[in-house]
Amino acid sequence: MRKFRRDWSQEDYERRQGRSDYRHEEPQTSYSYRGGHRREEVVTPPLDQSASGSSMATSVDFKTYVDQACRAAEEFVNIYYETMDKRRRALTRLYLDKATLIWNGNVVTGLDSLSNFFEMLPSSEFQVNMLDCQPVHEQATQSQTTVLVVTSGTVKFDGNKQHFFNQNFLLTAHSTPTSTVWKIASDCFRFQDWASC
Amino acid sequence: MESNNGGGCPQGKKKDDEDSLQGKFDHGNFHYEHAVGELLSSNLQEDRNRMMRDVHENPQLRRSMECHYEHQDRILPEGAVTANTDNEALRKLFKITIPYGIKYEKTWLINSIQSYCSVPFTPINLRYVRNQVEFFVQDASTASTLEDINYKIYDEENQKISILVEPSTETHSVQTNLKPEQMEVLMLTMNKRYDVSQKALDLQSLSFDRDLVGHETDMILDERKCMTAALQIIEKNFSELLSLNLCNNKLYQLDGLSDIIGKVPKVKILNLSANELRTAWELEKVKELDLEELWLEGNPLCRTFPSHAAYVRAIRNCFPKLLRLDGKELPPIAIDMEVPEIIKPCKESYKGSETLKSLILQFLLRYYVIYDSGDRRGLFGAYHEKACFSLTIPFNCGDPFLWEYFKYSRNMKKLKDPYLRRQLLKHTKHDIVNSLSVLPRTQHDFSSCVVDLCFQTEMMLCFSVSGVFKELEGKSPGIVRAFTRIFILASVSSSSICIVNDKLIVRNASPKETQSAFSTPLPSCFSSSVPTLSQEKMEMVKAFSTQSGMNLEWSQKCLEDNEWNYATAAQIFTMLQRQGRIPEEAFKQIP
Repeated sequence: MRKFRRDWSQEDYERRQGRSDYRHEEPQTSYSYRGGHRREEVVTPPLDQSASGSSMATSVDFKTYVDQACRAAEEFVNIYYETMDKRRRALTRLYLDKATLIWNGNVVTGLDSLSNFFEMLPSSEFQVNMLDCQPVHEQATQSQTTVLVVTSGTVKFDGNKQHFFNQNFLLTAHSTPTSTVWKIASDCFRFQDWASC
Repeated sequence: MESNNGGGCPQGKKKDDEDSLQGKFDHGNFHYEHAVGELLSSNLQEDRNRMMRDVHENPQLRRSMECHYEHQDRILPEGAVTANTDNEALRKLFKITIPYGIKYEKTWLINSIQSYCSVPFTPINLRYVRNQVEFFVQDASTASTLEDINYKIYDEENQKISILVEPSTETHSVQTNLKPEQMEVLMLTMNKRYDVSQKALDLQSLSFDRDLVGHETDMILDERKCMTAALQIIEKNFSELLSLNLCNNKLYQLDGLSDIIGKVPKVKILNLSANELRTAWELEKVKELDLEELWLEGNPLCRTFPSHAAYVRAIRNCFPKLLRLDGKELPPIAIDMEVPEIIKPCKESYKGSETLKSLILQFLLRYYVIYDSGDRRGLFGAYHEKACFSLTIPFNCGDPFLWEYFKYSRNMKKLKDPYLRRQLLKHTKHDIVNSLSVLPRTQHDFSSCVVDLCFQTEMMLCFSVSGVFKELEGKSPGIVRAFTRIFILASVSSSSICIVNDKLIVRNASPKETQSAFSTPLPSCFSSSVPTLSQEKMEMVKAFSTQSGMNLEWSQKCLEDNEWNYATAAQIFTMLQRQGRIPEEAFKQIP
């Protein structure tokens, strides 16, 4: 931690002073700006649209993208795994219509197939120990704001032994004037020990 | 949590703990009862459970409840709390915890520990709390012997089993026996309920049995001491028991029943219907029984499955030889296998085009040839100007510690500071290549790699690669690590692609992964067939053969697998040769 101190600007220093606030700033499962949204939706405040499309992407804009990606990722992960464990039937609401799931190498595409798949999957108990995210560059997404979310941890499916897993998602943003709803475009899941299953 | 126990704990503080527990657990959450038990003595805990459930039904309980509420705020129950204090011994106890103990068969675990322990010991009140096994032992010498065994026992996956020992501040009474008079009454009652011809014991609704109620004996089978007593009687008098009916006994857990395996292992029929079992995990505690018939209906756990079929499959997974569930014959296993409950993991995931597959493989080979070469600055051209990269290692990564990666690891579950979160996300291609150059030198094993194609559009490709690599320098040179890397590639022009996002996860390889690493002599790319060639291609093959020393056949294969890109093929060849993975026959000249 100390290593970074000499790189701080005044702005950073001031922010650091208030650092203790950030530690407790878990993103709330945001009922305040939900309006009519149900709880199985990943919602964040509206995106800062002013900088999009600009080819002069300055570092300030990038910071905003990173912060926004982090917020979306954290909220998403909380909702996703809770829904998976406790309200499995509602899980498909988090996916786009044409989303694809790759589950230990098996491909499942489209909401109907996803519904069937999640129905068949035994009840789960997930424990997420690692979470990271990156904003996806617009070169790849052509102005559709996208976030790469990566998680890992352990999972126990009923009747099966516990496994370590790795999972990554591509979330895309769909904006309304008052909020942004994030949906899963792709979901890739694998047990770490898949080869010996 | 434990430090809050002990005498002299102020009332107010304890109330806070209980309130915060209330807040943390949903009502009806199975774990609430056990968590509360951490704060209270186990006797008090069982009595509290009883209070919460049965107060209206049992007049005796109402009496004892009044007594308990008076003492509710005391941690240490003084003498007259329960009616059965005569046999209690106030001893110093030690609590033994085995994290992740639920993974192991109970008898294997206890026997393993016993085999390492010079002193014979009896685990008292063995129970499962979440994924831990907990039990108590009664004296300090046993406890310290057990403490010495910590990390000495290896399980089937070669992981060390940790055994944590702490003095139990629950200096409560541990009553493991009923009074002799109570045992007598119980035995008579059970005899009446035993059917010799069927070798069946019917303990349905035992707590309401007239004989027991008449004698003021509270036979609550959910309580440890009662279940233990019942099992003792069964072991002694009904050792050939085949069928046990525990219907309608308000069983919330089966910790006490897990001893049945050592006592009457021949039980084939078990009726647990109309109880309060909330998860199928409970059944794991008795899964060593070879059950043929099982009744579970009327338990909350039956409603937790998405479908009846899923419920049946889960139960059968626990008891593979089961023939009848809830009174219905189960179809033979063979039919069920067509619909496996968890789809079998497989290696290949893209049924898409071969071009895409080879594009990805090409990319990976080119990337890793440079990555493993010792100078990663060659990767500069692979990245977009404003690409992103980050790296993470698991929180509990075990032995040996991933020193060289630790300070760059970005895990938002642990790291909350937004400034640091931004710092650890490398942004431009300069920063990225610099960061990569600092990581230890590696050698990747391509035959171990599996690729999942996550997403594709005309503009982008997102895929993940998982496999193993050897670390060639650093604190543990030669060690095998496992990795997962997610690449997002974007097309920059009609002919070129570059990396826009790069995410690396590094962890220690499991023993199995380490063993099978680098064991396959050749990567799969050297396995295609040999069609006829054009003149130009013939020339390439000859040149390649001269330069590499391989015969024409192998040279051709190598070029084909690399889309006739001479430079790439040469790089691949050089790399594999350096790794010593090209067999001799590739160099044999055909006469």
